[in-house]
Amino acid sequence: MEQSLKTTALHALHKSLKARLVPFGGWHMPVQYEGVIAEHRHVRQDCGVFDVSHMGEIIVSGPDAQRFLQFVTINDVSRLADGQGQYSALPTAEAGFVDDLIIYRLGVERFLLCVNASNSDKDYAWLVSQKDSFQVTVDNQSDQWSQLAIQGPRSRAALGVLLSAEDGARVDRLAYMDIIAVHIGGAPAYVARTGYTGEWGYEVYLAHAAAPDAFSQLLEQSSAKPIGLGARDTLRLEAGYLLYGNDMDETVSPIEAGIAWAVRFDKGDFLGRTIMEAQKLGQKPCRKMVAFLMEDEGIARHGMEIFKDGRKIGVVTSGSFLPTLEKSGGMALIDKDAAGLDALIEVDIRGKRKLAKVVKRPLYSPKVK
Amino acid sequence: MSFPKDLKYTREHEWIRLDGKNGIIGITAYALEQLGDVVHLELPKVGESYKAGSTFGTIESTKTVSDLYMPLTGKITEVNSAIAKDLEALAADPYKNGWLIKVAVEKEDGELISAGEYESFIAED
Repeated sequence: MEQSLKTTALHALHKSLKARLVPFGGWHMPVQYEGVIAEHRHVRQDCGVFDVSHMGEIIVSGPDAQRFLQFVTINDVSRLADGQGQYSALPTAEAGFVDDLIIYRLGVERFLLCVNASNSDKDYAWLVSQKDSFQVTVDNQSDQWSQLAIQGPRSRAALGVLLSAEDGARVDRLAYMDIIAVHIGGAPAYVARTGYTGEWGYEVYLAHAAAPDAFSQLLEQSSAKPIGLGARDTLRLEAGYLLYGNDMDETVSPIEAGIAWAVRFDKGDFLGRTIMEAQKLGQKPCRKMVAFLMEDEGIARHGMEIFKDGRKIGVVTSGSFLPTLEKSGGMALIDKDAAGLDALIEVDIRGKRKLAKVVKRPLYSPKVK
Repeated sequence: MSFPKDLKYTREHEWIRLDGKNGIIGITAYALEQLGDVVHLELPKVGESYKAGSTFGTIESTKTVSDLYMPLTGKITEVNSAIAKDLEALAADPYKNGWLIKVAVEKEDGELISAGEYESFIAED
């Protein structure tokens, strides 16, 4: 089984750190080193570094790049200046999610798309299938980049270990979601001020050859600890970020998933627009994503059914023990009018109905900006 | 990893301390290490009876839920509610303070193995 899994440039390093490695999206990835809860807390209190090299990177360029992206994404890329990024999604014509992603404008008609690891081949094939009437080049560079996420209150100090003083000064001028080109290990790299944890942090794209030294330097010369995918999941869940495959897929719309703020109807036509508009205006029955915290003992997990007044109203999309809140909770997709803020709902946990409460998203307030 | 020799074990990673017609049951340090951070424990009620091999409770880590299996047939006489509220103490002392249930033995009809056999068993993992 293990031979068919892809490994990152840091695989040997993870093994030397005694990481527990598991299959994830076709990759062999560290799920934990010291322990999920300890790692989670370290990110919130100090700094963690994550190997996220399995994520995908696709470059879209050419005379029609902006026009193309306006059509195949929900957000408005014309609002991006050079060096700015935005959260977005690739919708199907039926307003489902092909993927969620971050798009950065690197320059005029040149964009970097950072996509989910499990979807990078699918997203590339999708973009290629949509580009016929546009003069655009779609380049799947996922195999060419390693990626590290450096997250936490001390992440700026940690990142400084990797950069020249000059590049460090440019990093200090980054607004949230901005990206700059730098050098790491003597090779071209990018630093974006963004993250998936709800803490101040950076996502760093770098050459495979530079990645092992960069990771080691971070661990040796800063307070950063290595963090696995287990804590990555508990951190993002607290912060209210979506996980493709859990919270949404091609049967869920961006309106239902709670990212209507990223859908810009005034930018012109785009895939799935008519359905999303109808959902937003309440003309089409739809679901909504809510956050919840358990009131009874028990841990809600993906797929568990949700009931109110004896009627099934939805399903848990993501659920876990939440180390910062020291409670269990998660996110659920429920019938739009079935339960409002503060409503009590029941989660079916292995045959027993346990009480939970609908609360405001996010469960934990991000300090990213 | 070594295991207390005065205990018996199951291939589901429970241990049992037998004392005449009574037993004390918990899970091994190996199982706890495999689980990682334990975040939830569901234990049965006093007075309930369980057959050998049946599920008497569940133990949850951040990522998984595992069933707890009865090493023999018996009736629950005591439940360690204290440890359910202090899960970090479980990994610290799995064989003494970390006991999960006490039972009145009705039938010794489970498959129990010695510490040495358990050690060999997990080495095959």
